[in-house]
Amino acid sequence: MELVAIFISAILVNNFVLYYFLGICPFLGVSKKIDSAVSMGLAVTFVMTITAVVSWAINNWILIPYGLDYLKIVSFILVIASLVQLVEMFIRKVSPPLYQALGIYLPLITTNCAIMGLALLAALREYGFTEAVVFGIGSGLGFTLAIILMAGIREQLDLADVPEPLKGAGISLIVAGIMALAFMGFIGMIK
Amino acid sequence: MPARSIGQEFTKGLWSENPVFRQLLGLCPTLAVTGWVINGLAMGLATSFVLIFSSLVVSIIKKLIPSQVRIASYIVIIATFVTVADRFLAAYFPDISKDLGPYVPLIVVNCIILGRQEAFSSKNSVGRSLIDALGMSSGFVLALLVLSSIREILGSGTYLGHQVMGSWFKPWIIMILPAGAFLALGILLGIALQIEKKTKSRV
Amino acid sequence: MKLSVRMVVVLTSVGLLSGSFLATVGILTKERIEINKQRVIEEAIIKVVPGTESSTKLYEAKDFKVYGGKDPDGTLIGYGILVSGIGFQDKITLMLGTNISLTKTTRLEIIEQKETPGLGAKIEDEDVFLKFWEGRDCSQPISLRKPAVKTAEELAASEVNTITGATISSESVLKIVNNSVERLRQLIKEGNLQKGEQDAR
Repeated sequence: MELVAIFISAILVNNFVLYYFLGICPFLGVSKKIDSAVSMGLAVTFVMTITAVVSWAINNWILIPYGLDYLKIVSFILVIASLVQLVEMFIRKVSPPLYQALGIYLPLITTNCAIMGLALLAALREYGFTEAVVFGIGSGLGFTLAIILMAGIREQLDLADVPEPLKGAGISLIVAGIMALAFMGFIGMIK
Repeated sequence: MPARSIGQEFTKGLWSENPVFRQLLGLCPTLAVTGWVINGLAMGLATSFVLIFSSLVVSIIKKLIPSQVRIASYIVIIATFVTVADRFLAAYFPDISKDLGPYVPLIVVNCIILGRQEAFSSKNSVGRSLIDALGMSSGFVLALLVLSSIREILGSGTYLGHQVMGSWFKPWIIMILPAGAFLALGILLGIALQIEKKTKSRV
Repeated sequence: MKLSVRMVVVLTSVGLLSGSFLATVGILTKERIEINKQRVIEEAIIKVVPGTESSTKLYEAKDFKVYGGKDPDGTLIGYGILVSGIGFQDKITLMLGTNISLTKTTRLEIIEQKETPGLGAKIEDEDVFLKFWEGRDCSQPISLRKPAVKTAEELAASEVNTITGATISSESVLKIVNNSVERLRQLIKEGNLQKGEQDAR
């Protein structure tokens, strides 16, 4: 039951984007079209899951046993940077068109606060291995959900008459605010 | 492009290239900790510390780092200073450290910092890099102050913990919630762009 | 110097310098951080077990720790249970003080919560919630009085007050408390509490 709670909470109740404010840059940058949103979301989910595993291993097998807690930030970010590099090379080999579509956003996943945030939160909450994995998948899916919803709305917004100063980031943030309000409806799902 | 004067190097960070309002960088912490002015201020100062020292180090050793490993090197340098800031807060300001939570370590992925190293400190003198870092930091702190002032005054009726709105005021709780953060920032961005447009059309 | 060698040298040096710098900072700040953590717990125990002079940790598990409050003579005068559980929105961490026989609560302190501001967050409010938790009969599960009443006298011995408009937050706190009291009762029955002289950590 605990695992289900972590999973559902990560996707809906404590959505990484709309509650923890993690992953805003790609959220605003890649959410213009649903296709790229889906690709970005899945890439992020993939990286997040692996990050959850590797950061858990490093934290519990090396950092804590040897009292090296102060190396957490440095080691986590290096792991993430390397993972993203590997994923980038992998996608480039396996699907060049996908690689083209994601363009600059792939390396930007490194600075995506969502991934680092995931690693830090899992360590903070002292999750066990399965809990960390479930948390990684759940938060990745939550991010994907938020970004797809945003892309869907923005595709419609392109056709609407938005005041000039609000075009782009301004209106996206306002929409995000309304989405955040809507997602508050999920609170209390877990008891 | 004509070289900027030292003064302009600093002031660009405050408005024309303000990291939050114009470059749209570092939004995660901007939204997350601005519910209270004290937290916004602390986050701004911590980020400034990391930005200034990282820029200094990167600018000093820029000639030594081969281009292929520059990003990795910048990341290690930034992460080092972030850890220092995090440990310092946890040791000497535990209440603020607890309020800011995981967002201090997250300074390491604040695009502003890595962005400045790549765009500026790695290509400019130590002096200029320092000024640039100071300007960007001030711009960031300014943005955090504006947003957190709005959110704290409207959301709790207080400022830095002191009551400023009379008892007639019913706080807009939404301002403390994530939704309020998004809405407030979105509207501020709109206002900033509007001001920019107006000043441009006068020139 | 060949490029690839230089790359390795630079990265290793940066890494080593960073590592040693951080090790120094880490060691310098380690003690204060530990002291800060301890102080939060000690202050909480003093609040929930009145008359406490010193405390010891009697049991530790994930999200559940039991501390004993001792008077100046070193006699155990009460328990402080530090426990975390799920609230309406996020995690709630609280400390409950009880007497030695686990029959009466002394006081409830909310250590950390992220409930809805203005509603669920009132679980931290003395007049609206916390004061109703003093001196409750916990030899049986405590229950929630709905709708909320105005004074403590109106509550039965094992009842606590609800917060109007924040039933779920109130219920979450209740559940956490009842579960931990029961758990401690089990631990005592099985003889699993340490009688050691460790200081509270």
